[in-house]
Amino acid sequence: MKRVLAQAVKELSQFWRDRLTVALAIVLPLLTLFIFGFAIRLESQNLPLVIQDLDNSPRSRAYIEQLFATNQFKPVPWPQGLTPEAALDQGQARAVVVIPPDFQRQMMRGETATVQVLIDGTDANNARFLQNALRATTHAFNQAMTSPQRPPPVAAETRLWFNPGRQETLFIVPGVMGVVLWVYPSLLAAIAMVREKDRGTIIQVYASDLRAEELLLGKGLAYLAIGGVEALVVIGLGMGIFGLRWAGDPLPFLLGTLVFLAAAVMFGLFIGVRANSQNVAVQGVALIGFLTALLLSGFIYPLANIPFPLSLISHIVPARYYIELSRNTFVRGSGWSGVWWQVAMIVLLGWLLFSIARRLLRRMQLPD
Amino acid sequence: MSLPLSSPIHRTSAGAVAAGDTEPVIAVQGLRKTYGSTLAVDGIDLVVYPGEVVGLIGPDGAGKTTTFHILAGVMEASAGEVRVLGQWPRHARLQTGYLTQQFSLYLDLSLEENLRYTAGLRRVPTARYEERRDRYLALMGLAPFKARLAGQLSGGMKQKLALCCALVSQPQILLLDEPTTGVDPVSRREFWDVLATLAATEGTTIVVATPYLDEAERCDRIALMYRGQIHQIGTIQELRDSLGLHRLEAHLASVQDLDRAAATLLSQNPPNQPPTIADVQTFGDRLDVLVSEVEGGIAELRSRLAAQAIPLTSLEVLPPTLENVFVTRLRQHTSDPPFIPFPTPRVPRPMPPLAIAATHLGKTFGDFQAVQGVNLEIRYGEIYGLLGANGAGKTTVIKMLCGLLAPTSGTMALAGQTENLRGAAIRQRLGYMSQKFTLYDDLTIRQNLEFYCGVYGIPRSQRGDRIAWVLTTCGLADQDQLITGRLPQGWKQRVAFGASVMHEPEILFLDEPTSGVDPLARRQFWRLIEDLARRGTAILVTTHYLEEAEHCNRMGFMVAGELVAQGSPRDIKASQPGQLVELVVDPIPAAAAYLKGVMAPWRVSVFGDRLHVVVDHPELALPRLQSQLQAAGLQLRSLRPIPFTLEDAFIGLVQRQETGP
Repeated sequence: MKRVLAQAVKELSQFWRDRLTVALAIVLPLLTLFIFGFAIRLESQNLPLVIQDLDNSPRSRAYIEQLFATNQFKPVPWPQGLTPEAALDQGQARAVVVIPPDFQRQMMRGETATVQVLIDGTDANNARFLQNALRATTHAFNQAMTSPQRPPPVAAETRLWFNPGRQETLFIVPGVMGVVLWVYPSLLAAIAMVREKDRGTIIQVYASDLRAEELLLGKGLAYLAIGGVEALVVIGLGMGIFGLRWAGDPLPFLLGTLVFLAAAVMFGLFIGVRANSQNVAVQGVALIGFLTALLLSGFIYPLANIPFPLSLISHIVPARYYIELSRNTFVRGSGWSGVWWQVAMIVLLGWLLFSIARRLLRRMQLPD
Repeated sequence: MSLPLSSPIHRTSAGAVAAGDTEPVIAVQGLRKTYGSTLAVDGIDLVVYPGEVVGLIGPDGAGKTTTFHILAGVMEASAGEVRVLGQWPRHARLQTGYLTQQFSLYLDLSLEENLRYTAGLRRVPTARYEERRDRYLALMGLAPFKARLAGQLSGGMKQKLALCCALVSQPQILLLDEPTTGVDPVSRREFWDVLATLAATEGTTIVVATPYLDEAERCDRIALMYRGQIHQIGTIQELRDSLGLHRLEAHLASVQDLDRAAATLLSQNPPNQPPTIADVQTFGDRLDVLVSEVEGGIAELRSRLAAQAIPLTSLEVLPPTLENVFVTRLRQHTSDPPFIPFPTPRVPRPMPPLAIAATHLGKTFGDFQAVQGVNLEIRYGEIYGLLGANGAGKTTVIKMLCGLLAPTSGTMALAGQTENLRGAAIRQRLGYMSQKFTLYDDLTIRQNLEFYCGVYGIPRSQRGDRIAWVLTTCGLADQDQLITGRLPQGWKQRVAFGASVMHEPEILFLDEPTSGVDPLARRQFWRLIEDLARRGTAILVTTHYLEEAEHCNRMGFMVAGELVAQGSPRDIKASQPGQLVELVVDPIPAAAAYLKGVMAPWRVSVFGDRLHVVVDHPELALPRLQSQLQAAGLQLRSLRPIPFTLEDAFIGLVQRQETGP
């Protein structure tokens, strides 16, 4: 135990001495938090829309008014002397709505008036969103126009739980925490490990009778402490700037954060043990750690959408469980009963990473 | 093949124990180590007794580092018995201190933090740690720098700190893998004095590898290692005796005659009688001739020189050096690397008399005077050595002369030009090779050479010849498609040298060109340099190998930015005031400690089982020394004057400059 502490103390003083790394250890997580927290908007707003109203009647104007009633769309004029479709070609609008000349007349006659909608399908996500939004608006317009002679047979009364205002930060920021607290502590730990090999100082460690687990735990402890500071900063800012609030008992989350950081550090050490140069270590963490935490964790893309073989991998991505845990803590707030499984999985995966790293290092010798 | 192990020395000093009745601390039998298909260590037998200092010498790739790794327990042997303190090396790790070739220090930690961490690793109790830390830091003269970062220490100080770290757990065995590579002569001698003290006062057993053959002479026993095998082991005396040759140092009236003299001495011996002259080596101002028998050898030498009408000014009979022993042994196993003269003859050009001329050259960085008042005159065809401790300003001088750095004061002329020294025209006529000379590791050898041909603007028609010359000289003729990064350091160095002289520079700067090169290759290297000089190239070389500096025609010693002495190797040695005496005293450690108390410490150094002492006025000092030793209860067995080596001269100069006589 004493040697574990000696290792940790040395690691911390080395870290502290390198002011650039200290600054990066704090600045990089913050930057990531801000970039993701402010820049990612899954819901689109102010989409440019071109309207060609060939009818120009009270009904058609009412329909147009309905379209721009929310901030989802903003009107743009189509290019002078060209057809409205040209606005799509030139990228000035995302969609074009053409109202036919006999729009009002057809409606008055009780017939169905047809409105032509052209959507720019380049961005599939936006296209789907536009399609839904235009359908919904048209539906609402229909309801308003047809006087309710009889009530509809079924009416679904929907209420959003946990996040009634559909605040996006409540979705994004807890997810960012999972990415940030996975990537940076593991990066620092991996570099610390591989640096010993790079500089040859590892031979001194091998030449003593320090055991593999003592080495891993010593280094792990130091970077767990550093990761803890990062976590405090990230959580603090999440609450201070992005308005996150504990939705229930924070204890499972705080404990879960600790084991998640430990798992992240073990992952970094594992990469550091395998890699033979700083470059390889950084790339290893960036590729394996960052990509899985970003894409296979449910941070942005729903877990249910991940296709079959990849979905298996998502089960061994610790960030997945941590993001579930943090979303629960800041949005749902169900306490231990909702998150014990996630915490247990993080502990299991962390232990697994530690065991593999220990196995790789067990001889504490130079490779042949 | 391996010669029978010689019996270990029977030391009578404090920590020493006579062999025979003691268990060896290291016992190695039939040790082999393979990496994939390469054989790094090929059957080593080695026995080391308590309190011994054993030197392992050999070129790069001889298997020294692998042997150390195995002895330190950080690597497993492929075959063979290895016992350290009667146990597996792994189990003896806490009793072993290992100094690796790379600085095994954390450069971003302070001295104290480095020591504390090592102590923690090696389970040293706090109270003992503090006591040892203070003791060893004081012994190494590092105590004032306790709080400084290891990265801010000089090379020599780093090595001493690394030694402190190894010592803090008070190991019974110290394994030192080239601890003095890249360390200047003064620091090197201090380092060895510390080792001698440790072996003597604490009974530490030391196994040390070194590329400097002169300092290996300070070991109790020396093992010659080559291609994974120990070819010979014994005391320096035994090694010299086994060679059965004597060394004659011949000074000629004119330095210009050296090559002719060497050629005539090397020419065929009469077939019916055994050769009296075994080997000839040219140095900057003398010839070293190895002869099998003194009388006959001298007669032969005199008659051959007389036949060529080459006047001889002096002739001295001296014991062969370790380099002689090593090279002779190596020649029994490999042939000399080929010597191939430069392919295209130099087109004679009208030349100014001086290649490099500098007057009152000075350079100031901020308020630090790195170089001041340096006057240099180097002629075409001359090899000039610039020597000095780390930080003495050698590299700054070279950089100014190359045009990489603008001087703060003074004037200089390169190849007769004083203007536009940084221009392309003059650069084409310079060559520069530094220790860190970078070939591109990820290109093939041929691609590297082609690149440098392009850089130096070698005409396309000559490129093929020049590249072929470099490749054959390096012994890499069929391997030009090899990726450069895969070459061992010593080979890379040769290719780099080839690349830097391909364009036949008129002036060549060599900054520590031979570090990490084995003795045979080093000899070939110097033949090449001498060949270039003969063709009229002016060569300025820096080196830490003072042995090697003897190859220079003239040399200059720099101390603290100033050139304090210039001259031929002989002049410099002769200009040393006083006399060097060799003492055999009992017990050595007590005598060394005592003498360092009564005279300046730099004047006394331990060489294996004897002491070297510098005295200024031998006629007065020697009788006093004898009575002083007697009064101190030390037994003086013998005392004889010996000639100064360049290293002695160097250390004397530096110390006198720094501390006053």
